[in-house]
Amino acid sequence: MIVCVAVVGHQNNPLYIQSFTEADDALKLHHIVHCSLDVIDERVNNPKKSGTTLNEAFLGLLYPTLNYKVYGYLTNTKVKFIMVTTDLDVRDTDVRSFFRKFHAAYVDAVSNPFHVPGKKITSRTFGESVGNIVRSYTFN
Amino acid sequence: MVREVAESCVDTMLMEMVAMYSGRFYANKPELAARRIEAIGYQVGHQLSERYTMERPRFSDHLEAIKFICKDFWSEVFKKQIDNLKTNHRGTFVLQDNKFRWLSRVSVEPSPEKETEDPSTPGESKAAQAVSMYLYFPCGIIRGVLSNLGIPCAVSADISSLPTCSFVIRVKA
Amino acid sequence: MANYLAQFQTIKHSCDRVVAAVEDVCDLWPTVKGLFEEHQPLKRAFLTNKTRNPVLVENLPVEFILTTDARLRSRFPQEQYLFWFREPYATIVLVTCEDLDEFKNILKPRLKLIVQNDEREWFIVFVSKAHPSNDQATKSVKKVYAKLEVDFSSKKRERCCKLDIHGPDTNFWEDLELKITECIRNTLDRRVQFYEDEIRKLSEQRFMPIWNFCNFFILKESLAFIFEMAHLHEDALREYDELELCYLETVNMPGKQREFGGFDSEDDQAALLKPGFKPLTQIVQDDSFREFDFRQYLFACQSRLLFKLNRPFEVSSRGYSFVISFAKALTLHESVLPFCMREVWVITACLALLEATASNHHDGVVAPDVDKEFYRLQGDLYSLSRIKFMRLGYLIGYGTDIERSPLNSACLSMLPWPKPAVWPSLPPDASSEVLEKEKTILQATSRTKHFGIQRKALPLEPSVLLRVANRRRASLSTGNLPEMFDGRQGFNEGSGLEASPRTPSSLKAPPMSRTNSSPGNFESPLDRPMRLAEIFVAAEHALRLTISDHDLLKTLSSIQDFETKYLNLTKGAAENYHRSWWKRHGVVLDGEIAAVCFKHEKYDLAANSYEKVCALYAGEGWQDLLAEVLPNLAECQKILNDQAGYMSSCVRLLSLDKGLFSSKERQAFQSEVVNIAHSEIKNPVPLDVSSLITFSGNTGPPLQLCDGDPGNLSVTVWSGFPDDITLDSLSLTLVATSNTDEGGQALKSSAATVLKPGRNTITFALPPQKPGSYVLGVVTGQIGRLRFRSHNFSKGGPADSDDFMSYEKPTRPILKVSKPRALVDLAAAVSSALLINEAQWIGIIVRPINYSLKGAILHVDTGPGLKIEDSYGIEMERYMETDSDAGASTAETSVEDSPDSPERDSEVLQLSDGKIVFSEWASTVSSILWVPVRALSEKLPRGSSSVTPLKQDILEGMRTVALKLEFGVHHNQIFERTIAAHFTDPFDVTTRVANKCNGGTLVLQVMLHSLVKANLIVQDAWLDLQDGFVHGKSDGRPTSTFFPLVVSPGSRAAVVFSISLEKTMSSGKDLQLQESILNIKYEIHGDRAAGAHKPVDADQSGADTERRDLVFKSAIVLQRPVLDPCLTVGFLPLPSDGLRVGKLITMQWRVERLKDLKGSEAVDQQHDEVLYEVNANSENWMVAGRKRGFVSLSEEQGSRVVISILCVPLVAGYVRPPQLGLPEVEEANVSSNPPGPHLVCVLPPLLSSSYCVPVKL
Repeated sequence: MIVCVAVVGHQNNPLYIQSFTEADDALKLHHIVHCSLDVIDERVNNPKKSGTTLNEAFLGLLYPTLNYKVYGYLTNTKVKFIMVTTDLDVRDTDVRSFFRKFHAAYVDAVSNPFHVPGKKITSRTFGESVGNIVRSYTFN
Repeated sequence: MVREVAESCVDTMLMEMVAMYSGRFYANKPELAARRIEAIGYQVGHQLSERYTMERPRFSDHLEAIKFICKDFWSEVFKKQIDNLKTNHRGTFVLQDNKFRWLSRVSVEPSPEKETEDPSTPGESKAAQAVSMYLYFPCGIIRGVLSNLGIPCAVSADISSLPTCSFVIRVKA
Repeated sequence: MANYLAQFQTIKHSCDRVVAAVEDVCDLWPTVKGLFEEHQPLKRAFLTNKTRNPVLVENLPVEFILTTDARLRSRFPQEQYLFWFREPYATIVLVTCEDLDEFKNILKPRLKLIVQNDEREWFIVFVSKAHPSNDQATKSVKKVYAKLEVDFSSKKRERCCKLDIHGPDTNFWEDLELKITECIRNTLDRRVQFYEDEIRKLSEQRFMPIWNFCNFFILKESLAFIFEMAHLHEDALREYDELELCYLETVNMPGKQREFGGFDSEDDQAALLKPGFKPLTQIVQDDSFREFDFRQYLFACQSRLLFKLNRPFEVSSRGYSFVISFAKALTLHESVLPFCMREVWVITACLALLEATASNHHDGVVAPDVDKEFYRLQGDLYSLSRIKFMRLGYLIGYGTDIERSPLNSACLSMLPWPKPAVWPSLPPDASSEVLEKEKTILQATSRTKHFGIQRKALPLEPSVLLRVANRRRASLSTGNLPEMFDGRQGFNEGSGLEASPRTPSSLKAPPMSRTNSSPGNFESPLDRPMRLAEIFVAAEHALRLTISDHDLLKTLSSIQDFETKYLNLTKGAAENYHRSWWKRHGVVLDGEIAAVCFKHEKYDLAANSYEKVCALYAGEGWQDLLAEVLPNLAECQKILNDQAGYMSSCVRLLSLDKGLFSSKERQAFQSEVVNIAHSEIKNPVPLDVSSLITFSGNTGPPLQLCDGDPGNLSVTVWSGFPDDITLDSLSLTLVATSNTDEGGQALKSSAATVLKPGRNTITFALPPQKPGSYVLGVVTGQIGRLRFRSHNFSKGGPADSDDFMSYEKPTRPILKVSKPRALVDLAAAVSSALLINEAQWIGIIVRPINYSLKGAILHVDTGPGLKIEDSYGIEMERYMETDSDAGASTAETSVEDSPDSPERDSEVLQLSDGKIVFSEWASTVSSILWVPVRALSEKLPRGSSSVTPLKQDILEGMRTVALKLEFGVHHNQIFERTIAAHFTDPFDVTTRVANKCNGGTLVLQVMLHSLVKANLIVQDAWLDLQDGFVHGKSDGRPTSTFFPLVVSPGSRAAVVFSISLEKTMSSGKDLQLQESILNIKYEIHGDRAAGAHKPVDADQSGADTERRDLVFKSAIVLQRPVLDPCLTVGFLPLPSDGLRVGKLITMQWRVERLKDLKGSEAVDQQHDEVLYEVNANSENWMVAGRKRGFVSLSEEQGSRVVISILCVPLVAGYVRPPQLGLPEVEEANVSSNPPGPHLVCVLPPLLSSSYCVPVKL
């Protein structure tokens, strides 16, 4: 199941971060998301290694850990989407489509003229739509 | 989901905005009015860029981003592409639209030919200034898009002969 | 086939070099062996790799073995192709011969025999022992060698070379090396070809039942080994990779239950770098390879080659993913493996990899980014082992010593519990240890955070250990399903992994012998669930059985050891991450180190690390995480007594999102700040509270001030403090937008101010500022001894609600000071003259020019000859602005308005020592002040005869009033002005004798010319005559029926008196009363708004009934007619064509002596001369000739003379002509004709003619 999704601005500042665990241990997910920025930076800063996926928004699996998987997605406007899941085997195509929906929701949110770019996203509708997307994706 | 706005609404809105800022809010200081209008354009571009760059790989260099503006972005906003793009490959790009939609209905009352050469003649410059007021908004949009794509730049427009309009983008090194 | 494995293994270990067989035909080997040995390894050998490309191999070692050697004999041919790699690659035939015949007959056939077997790659080394001195021998040797070459070398291949033992020729060795290399290359090619064919055959039948991985393995590895022997490591590595690939496929093939392995002693220690850790025979059982051992074996071989290729980076990168995937494999078989086998294996594997790679890695040999990558991998390995190590520590009860940081929580609580089929249970004799654990558990008190921050500690366990352990024990016994299920709820119950289908849910319990993790768990009673301490102890025992590595055991034996190891791992991870791209990981780990330092009271170290962490989080705005660390930093700083740091930390805490801390905690922060502020601060550095105290001007237009005015500037200050906070002082700098270079001066707020949470409005007293517009600068202030400053300009809202385009906007000016300008105007209300010597109202118009005159003070200072009648109040009333010169109309309106307009805009003020204080209503409207004054002048006005025109001098009646108005908030504005008032008599009097009746009665006409803008009503007029005149029939009054006579402004009236000469009076008798006085009793109807008016007191008592009349006195001089003239002056008539302006004419007078002056008293020395003087009004006439002079006139009677004067009339109309007077003769003796003044008519000039303009004389 997806335990956390996050939107991180182009200055690596959190714009939206939502965990989907019962326990109030969101902090650790904050930590995971924050640290995964290292990987994104690395992939973007030296394209040599990220190779073919250089310009694709979907960055794929960021962490090969035993316990959970962190996926990343980087838009043209340097906004990062990060998703943490505890599912073991996940198909990239699913994650791709997940991020695509997530991105769409984000765009709708920031197109609100009253949203101040670079500020945290507080729109409730955004929260709801993200919740729906997450719920609709339980990989495997 | 696709939301469309009647073009006439946009035109009217643009006219109203210019009238509002250059005529009422900052009647006596046009440069301030220009700044505000440009700022509004900036925000619009900033937000439009989010939507129109969806579903496309990240741009690897400036030229790609500029091309995006010339092709996809322009046709999203103006239903046509930029007609001519020039660059000096050192951060300056000139985008020329032979029939810029927002100027297609603007006309300057004809003034004697000899005057048209020198801009200092009051009538000419006044007309030019009036028209240029309408160009701060698109300039702002372009700047907004580019800066959101991580390319800080300055955008200016000049109207050699209506409705041809060319936007000059200077990327800040 | 598998039975060859053992042999294979041993052979592989026995030989490690390329073998060259030596066929020693003539017993030369002992002599040349040494030479040969010392010329290997081959320096530069060109071989061809698997892809048929030439490769240069340097220093290829070669082993020379005699064909007679046992190692080359006794081989069963069918083995050969299995172990072909050990067969010779080249055959060197050693021969020598000095006799041609011997060669032909004996040697040649033998050689033919030897080399006929074409399998082998061979060549001949001809050794010549011939000494160069002995040229006979050398000659024959040459012959023989030439023959040899002819016989054995072909043109396509050169198979002979010659070694001169005594000879100097050196290029033999190159020759030899070339030949050996050639042989090796050919052999290699042939064998590789062979193996590949074999392998292809095998892999074609991969999926057939008869297929046997073992054969495949032996072939593959032999090939790999061949490559390795030939130093073609790349190819060898590729072989191993393919082998691994193939193996994994076979392993993952469903169906046959394969044994996994991992139950041997010391299996817990990863052997992934030790190829020879176990003999292959042990790995392989009835041709199935144990995954556990075999995969490690393969990796070991690969890493060995990688090290040979000097690619430690690849070792660690492959290693890390190997560990991960292998750990997954271990998870699948966890239930049958010893307790925590996986954790232990991972730890040891990571450490082994770290050690091996670190020793082989040298900076700078590879590209920098590869270096970075390498360090990142090291970091990963460290942190992976760190996690596992923590898990073990937690299992045996060290959890209380693990910092419950987000990092640790993230790794541990998302890492599932080990899932042994049966949870280890308590050994029988462990009660004492249990007690120990109990104690430590009881002692362990979770450290309360600073500021009394209450937080639910982050979990370090995926699910409650107590439940998991007991359930897994119980899971042997049937039942208690509900516990099973409630264990599956929620993510952090670890169900995320339990849910994965791969987990073999139906694993039958393995035989006891294998899982030495749970000895005798049947003894322990099932019904009673274990207590936590028991679980710890049980786990500890189980681990002791699992872990074979003593060092690892030691690190887990006590908390101290655990902590040191934990610290080492953490540091290792941190350092390596710091050298890589992954700065964040490094910094976060620093935080973990800091936590340990903190526990050991190395607060300075802790503070440093915490600083870094906070900087990281703050820099990117991860407030939630920051809120977790910042309190720790603050605590360190407090303990270190770093007040400045502590303060700023508190401020930072306060300025975090409100939601992150409870109000109680935030109050704690604030109280800390306040306490320190009021305590002794050694070196008070200014504290930046920009995030906490923000300020902005009030909404609405900026404060407008006139130049030099002080004002009150009120500013909105937003306080982020949770409570009211008392600022001992607060000051604010204003910065002029015109010149930003100067800092602008600071405004201090008067007293201590208390900031409420949220919005506050604070007013500053503003001293006069220079003209210009100002914006807010910096707010500074003092709390106790603490100086703080804030330069955060919030746009009329809380700090966080700023506009992202704010840099587009200029900051709104808060104060505008206008350039100096006129603020008020004082003017005289009336321009026309007032009555002199009477109490009159003088009006002063005060006109504020959109500036308030609130509380203004007017100083009135009257000039000489003017005094204020202070018996009456000063009247002030609203002044109706009307267009300029409608004086009269103004008068009317104001007169009418004053009564019915509201009383508050007209009132009576009192003058106190020259000052008048304005009242409220007059502050904005323009008003008029009526000041009662009296102009004094002693001198009596004199009437003039109509002959000489009246000339009144303006300055005569001029009086001045100096006014000084103080106004503005602090009377700082001064306006001074002197206004002039003009005073005059009511009338200007001129007289003339109108008529001379017979009987000596004269009619005296007195003309009154009103000088004031008011109606004058003459009530009465009388004449007090001078001596020599008496009144006519009447009493000297005109006929009273004419009175009252109204003289309207500016008009004239005349009064006629009849008088007559006094007969009795003798000439020559001197006169007492020189002049007669005209008295006029009159009253005045005027309006003060227009000019002269009733004197003040009369005005006060408004009733006209009892009117107090004014009396106007004026002196007039009457002249007695001539009685006995001795001279007569006659004005000769003018030319008929009359006078014209600008036209010269001659005026003539005839002077005639009527009687001689003999006997008369009026005589002087020259009797025959007369002094004359012509006086003319210079405005009307220009006199050309001599005005004054003597004319001779003889003394006898009747002598006459004509005096003529040339003059030019200047004005047209009826004017008085010039007059001739005789100054030396008494008027009484001169009779003139015409007797009185008369007029002549002057015509206007001819248009053409030009004329002189008057010049002032």
